[in-house]
Amino acid sequence: MVQYKPRHLASSFTALAMGVGLLGSSGISGRALAADKTVISVAYGETYVFDTEDLTKKWWNGVKAEFEAKFPDATLQLVPIGGGYDDITNKLSLLYRSSRTAPDVAQIATPVIGQFSSSGYLLPLDSYLADEAWWKQFPKVIQGEGVFQGKTYAVNTGENDSQLYYNMDLFKKAGLPVPWTPHNWNDILNAARTIKAKLPHIIPVWLNAGSSSGDNGILQGAGNLLAGSTVPTIYDKKTQKWVVDSPGLREVLDFYHSVYSEGMGANLSDLFSPSAVTIPLTLIAQGKVAITFGSNYYGGNWTKLICSPCWADATKVAGVVPIPTVDGHSPDIATTVGGWDFAVSASTKSPHYAWELVKLMESDINQINAANWAGFVPANQLIVKEPAFVDFAPPYNAVSAQVLPYGVISPASGDYLVWSHGLQEATGALAQHPNTTVDAAIGVMSDYVSNQLDSSAVETLK
Amino acid sequence: MRPENGERRGWWKSSAAADGEQQLDAVGILLLLPATLLLVVMFIGPVGFAFYLGVTNIALVGPTAQHFHFTGLKNLHRLVNDRLFWESLKLTAIFLGASAVVGVTIIGMALAVLMQHAVTWLRTVVGAIVVVAWMLPPITAALLWYAFSTTGGTLSLLSGSDSDILNDFPMTIVCLANIWSTAGFSMLVLSSGLRTVPAEVLEAGKMEGASRWQIFRSLTLPIMRPTIVTNVLLVTLLSLANFSLIYIMTAGGPGNATNILPIYSYQQAFQFNKLAYGALLGDVVVIIATVFAYLYVRVSRPSRAGYRPQGKLA
Repeated sequence: MVQYKPRHLASSFTALAMGVGLLGSSGISGRALAADKTVISVAYGETYVFDTEDLTKKWWNGVKAEFEAKFPDATLQLVPIGGGYDDITNKLSLLYRSSRTAPDVAQIATPVIGQFSSSGYLLPLDSYLADEAWWKQFPKVIQGEGVFQGKTYAVNTGENDSQLYYNMDLFKKAGLPVPWTPHNWNDILNAARTIKAKLPHIIPVWLNAGSSSGDNGILQGAGNLLAGSTVPTIYDKKTQKWVVDSPGLREVLDFYHSVYSEGMGANLSDLFSPSAVTIPLTLIAQGKVAITFGSNYYGGNWTKLICSPCWADATKVAGVVPIPTVDGHSPDIATTVGGWDFAVSASTKSPHYAWELVKLMESDINQINAANWAGFVPANQLIVKEPAFVDFAPPYNAVSAQVLPYGVISPASGDYLVWSHGLQEATGALAQHPNTTVDAAIGVMSDYVSNQLDSSAVETLK
Repeated sequence: MRPENGERRGWWKSSAAADGEQQLDAVGILLLLPATLLLVVMFIGPVGFAFYLGVTNIALVGPTAQHFHFTGLKNLHRLVNDRLFWESLKLTAIFLGASAVVGVTIIGMALAVLMQHAVTWLRTVVGAIVVVAWMLPPITAALLWYAFSTTGGTLSLLSGSDSDILNDFPMTIVCLANIWSTAGFSMLVLSSGLRTVPAEVLEAGKMEGASRWQIFRSLTLPIMRPTIVTNVLLVTLLSLANFSLIYIMTAGGPGNATNILPIYSYQQAFQFNKLAYGALLGDVVVIIATVFAYLYVRVSRPSRAGYRPQGKLA
């Protein structure tokens, strides 16, 4: 997943382009383009998903050539969608409103699959998946991300999870051990305090805060901490209410409070920047930050192929470890998981070809290329061990593959984004106003979510 | 401009009497038809539909994306009880009041007056710069101001610290950015207004011993009143539609500090997928814009005083 483009800029362009795009996309349904050929369309993120636009073209043109060579009686129509994370979902939502414009196959962000399936837009894939050997290699947690009301509507094509990156040179200078293995959150805070005391010009911790990065900021920030807290519940399935106050949330916000009230966080301009989640990639390479809560794609981005930024010495300087749980409780690995999936339209006239396309895109080589070129962790547990993946960005890819099965997936409901925004506001308040107490931050979140979803839709867990 | 009722009515009646009223009426309707159709199809229809969507449960995606229905006053009830909506309305008023009404008009007027008295080359250079700022797309203006006002930008360097002024004073900075980018328009409108002030009136004021300020306050301003009001209304409408500037600079944040109505509407519709509530918030923007547009149309009508005698005579 790549977040180079300022999200707001991209959104603004796309909002304007959406109308034009809808007109243009009427070509998607051009199944009669060639009288003797079946036309299958596939919609995907053009600028956001892969690390560079050249790699986007390379991967998708490769898929098209492979598909058309394998099925000479079919044509694959590529439907690239520009813009950022929200823009892809928005454009897909509009395309799916009519069966004439709905793409046969679409690349959909994991958190919104539930909304697309509940709209009646997607085809259940269980009968197709039953005999696929590669599907059996997916961890249960990832198989489950496309399951709603007992049916599987989507298959993963790459995940993002999170780790802790630390600058080994700075750690050595501060007298901290290398390699470093924090066992709980206090270990992280204590290391950060040492950095602050010994190296006052260095940012001790990068931890995403505020709402400028949307839910991405949660997936690559507070969400990881919540996953490793004592009560990680976001949505209480029993009561069907959103949790706005719990021991877990308080542990997370207390960690934020420590980082920002002790002056151990990054400056607000960077934290609240529209491209905040990618800023630490450069800060780490420049030796300006000691510990970073970051995503799995960092290692790949530093390679010569992606070069964003180029950092030949990355492996010598940037160490990587799993994020521990709050008190070291088992499995002592905490991470969010969020990625992209392939889904087939319920209105497709050629489910056979649509499924054949999904299968082709899930082939080992296509999944390895997607992982390396888009900064993914492949879901297939055989592929994550392939040297072509592991050696692309060592040791980072191996660690991201190690933590993946422990990942926590966000609730699929549309209201999750409101809950997420509430948490973003709470973390933003702690980062911007260091005097904010944990109680006040909980209040910010609780007020926001209650106001948006009604007070009857939220609850406190003891 | 066509003269007011009196003269127009006379022309109409005489023509009608000569050629037959029905025929002329049909031709008139036929000529108006394309414009009317365009207006209905491209404006009244979509706006009307947006008002309908505002009272449904339509979502961008989800179970009610396709199968939505009328939900009565439910969304309106939520709107009335939505604390963020009222806050957003207040922020919209502050943004429009501070940047459009006060900032742009005062800065625009100051520029227009100063330009009137400036030497030619200076007038040309400053005029060109201000107009270029106005012509820049909101995206460029927003990025310029973003770079200018965040840590490491010119503003923080000038203040001698590494403070993040955009996030410390978000509403002030977005208002300044809006003033910066629309003052050129204001200057052009008010400059042309200044040229309509009769020189002999100013000369008479000078002869009576009035100071420059007295002349400006008691002669120039009253004579320019219609131009100033028109300018304020136009700039208000331009600012109300200036979604991109704030969205790119702050996306309504930090917290909800710059969450004006167009931003809040976008967030509900396209980030939370609550298309119906987003449409309802958009409807509020349409109503506000309609009020200003109505005032603008009233103010910009040809001066009745000028035509009334003719009308009475007719």
